[in-house]
Amino acid sequence: MTAATIAHEGHHDDHALALYREVADIRLLGFVLFLISDCVLFSSFIFAYIYMRDAAPVWPPTGVGLPDANLAAVNSIILFGSGATMHFAMENWKHGTEIKFRRWMVATIVLGALFLTGQGWEYTHINATWWGSTFGAAFFTLTGMHGFHVFCGIIFLIVLLNQTLSGVYNKKQYFGLVAGTLYWHFVDVIWVFLFFLFYVW
Amino acid sequence: MTEQSLAFVFRGIAIVGAILVGLIAIYQVRNDWTTPGLDIQVSKLLLALMAVGCVIVILSSTGVIGWQTRAGY
Repeated sequence: MTAATIAHEGHHDDHALALYREVADIRLLGFVLFLISDCVLFSSFIFAYIYMRDAAPVWPPTGVGLPDANLAAVNSIILFGSGATMHFAMENWKHGTEIKFRRWMVATIVLGALFLTGQGWEYTHINATWWGSTFGAAFFTLTGMHGFHVFCGIIFLIVLLNQTLSGVYNKKQYFGLVAGTLYWHFVDVIWVFLFFLFYVW
Repeated sequence: MTEQSLAFVFRGIAIVGAILVGLIAIYQVRNDWTTPGLDIQVSKLLLALMAVGCVIVILSSTGVIGWQTRAGY
């Protein structure tokens, strides 16, 4: 291989990387807009709950038991912890330690599944129903919608893990992983608001 | 295990976990403070909100805020 050929290939790689970055920037903007739209969706339900609660003469409605805040606090920490493990996974990918990246990704998926299990346990033990009261309707709609997002996030992370195993991403081109990390952090943050609304306020 | 002691264990786990995760979140935000890029900015914002969530969990589990405190649990 001549020096001229090597120089030409290097130039080609630089051009491909620059093109990738430009496309990734547009994708990132699109993904952030998606997160904002999701935020609007949650906000509409959250404000509906605040309005209903404010307008209710008695809260919680008669015959409704409020959920257990202690269990929810542990469940919240499981979800927040998964946000931390996801961040570690991403940092390890950036630093080229792929084995550690996979371990943190698996930890994130396991913690996400644990959170959903905790939610499922709570659904079967809470003294409220979806159709029985405004509290029950708001609680099951909002936490159910959030749980669905967590479930989709787990699928998302499994797909990403599979893609890294089959070599879809490299050290310079990994937009999917960035999107996965942002999505998972977003799901964590939505839970901060839901935890405050249903278990603290 | 009685219901009260189970609640005590849950609160302990939540407080320790929240301190740990909150510190990690704050450390990561501090680490990426000057790093440019939209993804990093969004990530920092979300991590900071997660740290706020940890503070809420600590306050709730210690009985400073929350309906359980108001109800005298």
